[in-house]
Amino acid sequence: MPHDLDRYHRQMLLPGFGEQGQQKLADATAFVVGCGALGTVIANMLARAGVGHLIIADRDFIELTNLQRQVLFDETDVRDGIPKAEAAKRKLATINSQVRVDAIVDDINHKNIEQLIRAGDTDIPDILIDGVDNFETRFLVNDVAVKHAIPYIYGGAVGTVGMSYAILPHAIPGATNTPPWQTAGAATPCLRCIFEQAPPPGMNPTCDTAGVLGPVVSIIANYQVNEALKVLTGNYDAVCPTMLSIDTWQNTYKQFKVRRAYDVAECPCCKQRSFEHLDGKWSSATTTLCGRNAVQLSQQPADPANRRKLDFDEIANRLKAHGQVTANKFMLRADIKDNGTDYELTLFTDGRAIVKGTKEPNTAKNIYAKYIGA
Amino acid sequence: MIYFDNAATSFPKAPGVGDAMADFLANHAANPGRAGHRMAVAAERMLDDTRLQLAKLFDAPDHNRVVFALNCTDALNMAIKGVLGAPVTDTATRDHVITTNLEHNSVSRPLQALADAQYVDLTRVDCDTEGIVDPAAIEAAITPATRMIVMTHASNVLGTVQDAAAVGAIARKHNVLFCLDAAQTAGALPVSIEKMHIDLLAFPGHKSLLGPTGTGGLYVGDRCPQPAQPDNPNTNVPTLRPWREGGTGGDSSTPTQPPLYPYFLEGGTPNTVGIAGLARALDYLADADPASAINHERAMIQLILDHLADNRRVTIYGPTGPDAATHRVGALSINIDGLEPSDAASILDDSFDIATRPGLHCAPYTHRRLNTYPSGTLRISPGPFTTNDDIDALLNALDQLTA
Repeated sequence: MPHDLDRYHRQMLLPGFGEQGQQKLADATAFVVGCGALGTVIANMLARAGVGHLIIADRDFIELTNLQRQVLFDETDVRDGIPKAEAAKRKLATINSQVRVDAIVDDINHKNIEQLIRAGDTDIPDILIDGVDNFETRFLVNDVAVKHAIPYIYGGAVGTVGMSYAILPHAIPGATNTPPWQTAGAATPCLRCIFEQAPPPGMNPTCDTAGVLGPVVSIIANYQVNEALKVLTGNYDAVCPTMLSIDTWQNTYKQFKVRRAYDVAECPCCKQRSFEHLDGKWSSATTTLCGRNAVQLSQQPADPANRRKLDFDEIANRLKAHGQVTANKFMLRADIKDNGTDYELTLFTDGRAIVKGTKEPNTAKNIYAKYIGA
Repeated sequence: MIYFDNAATSFPKAPGVGDAMADFLANHAANPGRAGHRMAVAAERMLDDTRLQLAKLFDAPDHNRVVFALNCTDALNMAIKGVLGAPVTDTATRDHVITTNLEHNSVSRPLQALADAQYVDLTRVDCDTEGIVDPAAIEAAITPATRMIVMTHASNVLGTVQDAAAVGAIARKHNVLFCLDAAQTAGALPVSIEKMHIDLLAFPGHKSLLGPTGTGGLYVGDRCPQPAQPDNPNTNVPTLRPWREGGTGGDSSTPTQPPLYPYFLEGGTPNTVGIAGLARALDYLADADPASAINHERAMIQLILDHLADNRRVTIYGPTGPDAATHRVGALSINIDGLEPSDAASILDDSFDIATRPGLHCAPYTHRRLNTYPSGTLRISPGPFTTNDDIDALLNALDQLTA
């Protein structure tokens, strides 16, 4: 179907946009990684703005506690128990039928991400937008962004705090096909220039343990879309070069200057072109336990010689709202009811865990990301 | 890491195994028997020498009947499907097979699959509460249709050693084939093909023989059915079926596997690099006192048994008491009250750097017998290189876990 541009009139009036900018959006593919609170807002706004092709990936199913902030879903979706990516696709079809949506219901990991970004017979997408709930996947997406020179809009929110930052990757030093944003002088440091490693599991609060304020997610997601629209219309010089950090409850709004991080860091990713997350060096492994309705998740310790032990007291504190938690110096055990199903989560000091109540690795990873934080 | 998982694979390997493999790979890695050049001949000779070493170790009359396999599972499949894998058209002539509930899945699964396909009738003889099978119970299960007894020499869950010589004598008396799974004993206990009346001996190279993974073998005795002779097909005589078929070097002219050992069962390029490592391990074992490894492992097991005897939170499976270790190889199963085996193993790994093995150990029938199905047990398996300090560290950890 040819794109009817009339509906985008108010957007095309904007400086730097016009019909040409709108056409660029229509021709663009955006990969939305994760379709929860951030992802639904992102997909919603991208579809309304007329981005021609969306690929939406999420392994999770919709539950009642999502509706507070995940704007594409409603009570019918909860009742039907459909996957988030699939529900988003259906809803977006009613919002803008001109947009093609490919839904991927799968865990995104180092083994499949390079196939998944090509979903729907596209070449590589024009942009990657972050709607995930864990740092393991973020660092993986960052590797893909740098390796294939795809802009990546990082975003994250938990509690009343949110962050966002647009990564416009630097090309391989000396490469002939310099990406347009670099020619425009707008390339930015990658995630690993700024944070060398993903934080170890269990160190950070999650939406499921610390709660989350709907508006802060919505603000961050819209900020991500804001930056994405600049990128997709070719307005690279307008892309914000700093990292935004906000707390909408404490009323703090900060912009961190990160540009120098590229110059000073010997970034393994964008300078040495070593894509360790994509190579699986830091990926967690899952094993379905012999004879048991249980899955073991093992983390690759960042530094085996000097590994950090989890703070069971702090984690027990976070989890106690969800069910009984017991801990000694060797392990922490928590009973968790998630979306109506009972799980028993056993956590060990190096971050590995055994999730009882499922044989599905994806379900176990989901429980871990939600309640421990990966 | 303190390693207590030797029943899965030994670690460390015999001194020099890695060097021997690296040297073979760097300097001699030709394909044996596939060409006449010197390197190929040397590779073939290395295989042949290793066969001789193994034949000597297992008291086998003909080293050409030592067939290399990828592991003990591969060898057992060769044996079980080789003898019993022919489709049965007349149920009146169906073979009967006896096995036990101490078996690893490498025995249980191929036999059960043959029984499910109605190629054989299967009897699974029960062990006693200590994990020992009474040879008389096996004899009692023999019928006129019994073709083969397949059993393990030692339980991989409990470490309990079975009276293979007695079962072998019974098999011989009743003209039944005897297939012994020596996964837990080859290299640890004396295994004599002659004295124990073994017709098919399956063994891994990577456990008590202290060689690398990817090695193992099967000895095929002359009482077993023989390969069909292509030039004299007598369809009334039961024949051995090759589990793998393919290139053998040597005689390439026959349309099917050449009926000559070891090539009949050795289709495909063998794991020469691994076998070079195994050969070095066999040299090491040949130079050592044959009883030293098992005596050491039993001493280690006895230390653990003695220490845990009074611990009320620990259940020990299999023989206990002052001389209990003499009934075992170096494997012991326990459970800790209130702690799943998988949790206990994770804690030992995470907090104490100790490697053990939780779960069913691929032996579901044994765990059903012990009432430990489906969580299984925590298996502790010391090896020839386990030290007293290792045992102290393990016992200290178990004390803390059960405090």
